[in-house]
Amino acid sequence: MPRLITFLSLALLLAIRAHGAELRGPAQVKAGSAFSLSSNGSGEATLYLVGPASVSKRKVQLGSGIPVEAGEIEHAGRYVAIVCSGGDCSSANFYVFASDASKLSLLVHPSRVRVATPNAISAVAFVFDKFHNLVLTPSDVEFRVTPQQGPALTHSQPSSNGVAWVRMTSATKEGPTKIGAAVADASELRVVRQVASDACNLRIKSEWVSGKLFVQTDPVRDCGGNNVPDGTVVSFTKTDEAGKTTVDAPIKRGIARVEMPVSGEARIDVASGVVTGNELNVAGAR
Amino acid sequence: MRIALYIFTALCLFASLWSQEPADASLPKVVLAAENVGPRQIEELTSKSVPRDYAYAWKTMARALAENRSDLLDAYFTGFAKDNLARRIADQKRTGINTRYIDHGHKLEAIFYSPAGDAMQLRDRARVEIQLLDGGNVIHREQVNLQYLVLMTPGADRWLVRDLETTPEVHP
Repeated sequence: MPRLITFLSLALLLAIRAHGAELRGPAQVKAGSAFSLSSNGSGEATLYLVGPASVSKRKVQLGSGIPVEAGEIEHAGRYVAIVCSGGDCSSANFYVFASDASKLSLLVHPSRVRVATPNAISAVAFVFDKFHNLVLTPSDVEFRVTPQQGPALTHSQPSSNGVAWVRMTSATKEGPTKIGAAVADASELRVVRQVASDACNLRIKSEWVSGKLFVQTDPVRDCGGNNVPDGTVVSFTKTDEAGKTTVDAPIKRGIARVEMPVSGEARIDVASGVVTGNELNVAGAR
Repeated sequence: MRIALYIFTALCLFASLWSQEPADASLPKVVLAAENVGPRQIEELTSKSVPRDYAYAWKTMARALAENRSDLLDAYFTGFAKDNLARRIADQKRTGINTRYIDHGHKLEAIFYSPAGDAMQLRDRARVEIQLLDGGNVIHREQVNLQYLVLMTPGADRWLVRDLETTPEVHP
């Protein structure tokens, strides 16, 4: 039995030796760092280097170090190096991991948000190296919120698998807010426009002009005193003997105004979204 | 006249069945686990479309690398993933190399789904046979378990692979 094992071992060794040059390399290499593969055997061979974004093929001399240029391993991932000589090929594989963090991709949503809305804004940062490889080792990403007025707020968040994210509540005052993220020397900036929330204390008044009744709102503001944006629709509803008539008007320069033909007594009320305002009782054409 | 109509209808039906690509049968098997994803939970429809589109992406990539056709990448790849594969295909053409993937399936695990639903990061544990051919001769063949870190983003009607990076297997 021991003889058989020795015989089989020798046969296996011979088979391995006959298979061709053996190729060795490091298990992991940093992207863009030159290194050498080692090979045994002698004579000329063809080296193939196959990576996620590149394939190269060249003649090499066996028995000495085979240099791999920095430019050949810029992309992170698994590489296979193969040397073929006289019909026999052998291979080695290694991983290239990302270089240091130096680029950032920032997603901020939404671009327009109502004031004082909890967790309404999200910012997601993807951390890349200079070769656009996702940096998987944790990096501290600094998120910075700069409101139109007041001091900037910062929050540092370590990335996980190349991703760092935060969620924020929008400010109580309308206006643009800058949201940025930075890692190493790289930074990105986005702007989120914060707009007023629903109208609050919606009030209307009427006036007769040349025999026509005009109904208009006071300046429409939310409960925080922010101007509700122009274009927001305000609905005026007239109820009289003939039934109900609703006229929609967008806010222009802070107020909404409509002309409402009235004959006899009528009641006019106002609403914007789910908010209702005061009622007016008016009587016939003058 | 009626018989002619019946024949015509039957022919149309046969032609439509014949022309349907047996897509599902030729797709690699992809299983998605989304129990531990955050901060956003995956919607039911998304939990079906992501593995489906990832399977199509792999099918497309395998064909593109086997036939050295970067035009195929447009359907399911974008961003860095598409750029990298296009570069590799250009190199393959230049050197006369082809890569053949025999796909034995993917276990996909969603690890990050952005709050706005505009990016999803996944880990893929794939079992594949890779063959490298130079001028039609196989110079390398291996059966491997590979781990990929994948970034997918929604397109107009499908999820696209934006980044695809092989990573060493990490044992917790």
